[in-house]
Amino acid sequence: MKRLRLDRWGAQFLPPQYQVPRPRVLCPYQQASHDHRIQHSTRFYRSTPAIRDTPDYEDSIDLATPLEQLPSPPPKLASSSAKLAALHARLSLPSKLPLHTLARCLVDASADPSPDFNNSSLAILGSEILGYHTSEYLLCHYPRLPMTVLFAAQYAYVGPKALRSMTLEWGVEVAAEPGGEVDPGLLQLKRLRPEEAVIQAGETGRPNQQWAYRRGTSSRIVYDDQFGDLKKDATTASGNAMVVGSSTAQGPGATDEEASKNFVRALVGAVYLHAGRAAAKRFFEQHFLSRQLELSKLFDFKHAPRDLSRLCAREGFESPVARLISETGRLSRHPVFVVGVYSGNDKLGEGAGASLDEARIRAAAAALKGWYLYSPIDAMVPSDVEGGDKEKKKWEPAMIDIGEIIT
Amino acid sequence: MPLQALRTVARSQNGVGAFILQCKRLDFHYCDWAGSSKGMNSFLQSHLPAFAASNPQIEITVSPRPRKHPVIKGTYINGREKAVCVRNMEVKEILAKAELLRDANGEKLRKAKKPVKSANESVRGIWDPFHGANWSI
Repeated sequence: MKRLRLDRWGAQFLPPQYQVPRPRVLCPYQQASHDHRIQHSTRFYRSTPAIRDTPDYEDSIDLATPLEQLPSPPPKLASSSAKLAALHARLSLPSKLPLHTLARCLVDASADPSPDFNNSSLAILGSEILGYHTSEYLLCHYPRLPMTVLFAAQYAYVGPKALRSMTLEWGVEVAAEPGGEVDPGLLQLKRLRPEEAVIQAGETGRPNQQWAYRRGTSSRIVYDDQFGDLKKDATTASGNAMVVGSSTAQGPGATDEEASKNFVRALVGAVYLHAGRAAAKRFFEQHFLSRQLELSKLFDFKHAPRDLSRLCAREGFESPVARLISETGRLSRHPVFVVGVYSGNDKLGEGAGASLDEARIRAAAAALKGWYLYSPIDAMVPSDVEGGDKEKKKWEPAMIDIGEIIT
Repeated sequence: MPLQALRTVARSQNGVGAFILQCKRLDFHYCDWAGSSKGMNSFLQSHLPAFAASNPQIEITVSPRPRKHPVIKGTYINGREKAVCVRNMEVKEILAKAELLRDANGEKLRKAKKPVKSANESVRGIWDPFHGANWSI
């Protein structure tokens, strides 16, 4: 199996103009607080566009511009913000991650359109890292998960709503209005005003977009994002940070949800860039994977008995038969029937319902969930064996299922 | 569409993976003149630096509140506030109050009636008459 070179992702997602040689001015976000680590982490500089050596960057910092005229707080204020330091400690972020980068993660592209100062480039990297770790966990631990449920599970772990609630649970407050004088520990965004909130049809990256064809599951895998949703702007997905920054600048503001989503993603990207792959994975496991999600409640079967009989036919089992196990009060106002579905002598599932049909359908759904939610014991994910450590575990290939039932 | 999925959001379980301290800010209010702030003033000078250093997760602000009793006010992640008046208290008592506010989760105090509260379904399930030993009359 070919190893994913995660450490190169940062550079791959940047447009060519950012892949410049190291500038003579080091990244200001690190220089201030971590001079002794600069030699250690120079390899990360390639991947952050914050170090683009442009004269306007130095002008904006060195000249005595009034803070009120800056779109976002200058990086030098980050080290004096109590909110920012408290947030850093509250999230137990690695000490390699400087406060300046954390401050930059909190600046949304709607507040500061300049990609040198906003979090758009970090958010792209963080989005890929989150998507990678979530999908490898789900695919290796639940190899038979149907595609739609896989989409929903990813949405539940790292979807915009989950990231928004995570931001709230981290105690991150949103600034009323962005600006240079605002505390850098607040999430900076320019809010979308209600009259501007019209749905803008962006480029979704689908062929024949104007015809609004039906979106089947297979085409969602190819064309849509990791949650099976239409891409808002296909140029965003290709990882062009410059386009993200500039397009949002002309557009209206952002919602709290979008800004929170970008903040969390940018933070994951920043942890990855400053502290490395292992720290990013640990951060993901502690903050994302530790959340509780009941996968069995994500299923919404339309024709469970039909799916089950197709499954049995495909797997070579005897065709399922529903049998009544017990019942009470058939002629009463609230009868209860317990029905099991059997394949030969094996009971595949059991369900209770107020009518025979309901119980049969519940039993078939239970049997299908039992199949789809199979989880191998001691499943490994590819990132467990990433890295050059000799003490790492040996890779055991993950189970690949032939797929869900197509009816 | 044979099988569709329902969208939901995974619930956080604070402390299972990462632990987020629920107190995010502590405001210390004092008065330079009034005698009820005597303990508070010596707390601010002697104990607060060490308290702040040992609790870096909390943003700490100190501000005067002239001609009023000294107050410690905690702001929590769930949006609620808790304020404790520390008038005429000794330094040790004020430290205990600050630690109480730090350790609180910001929710209203309520009695825990059940020993275990769980988000998971019971493994045993609710009782039903159709399983287990049959009852013979």
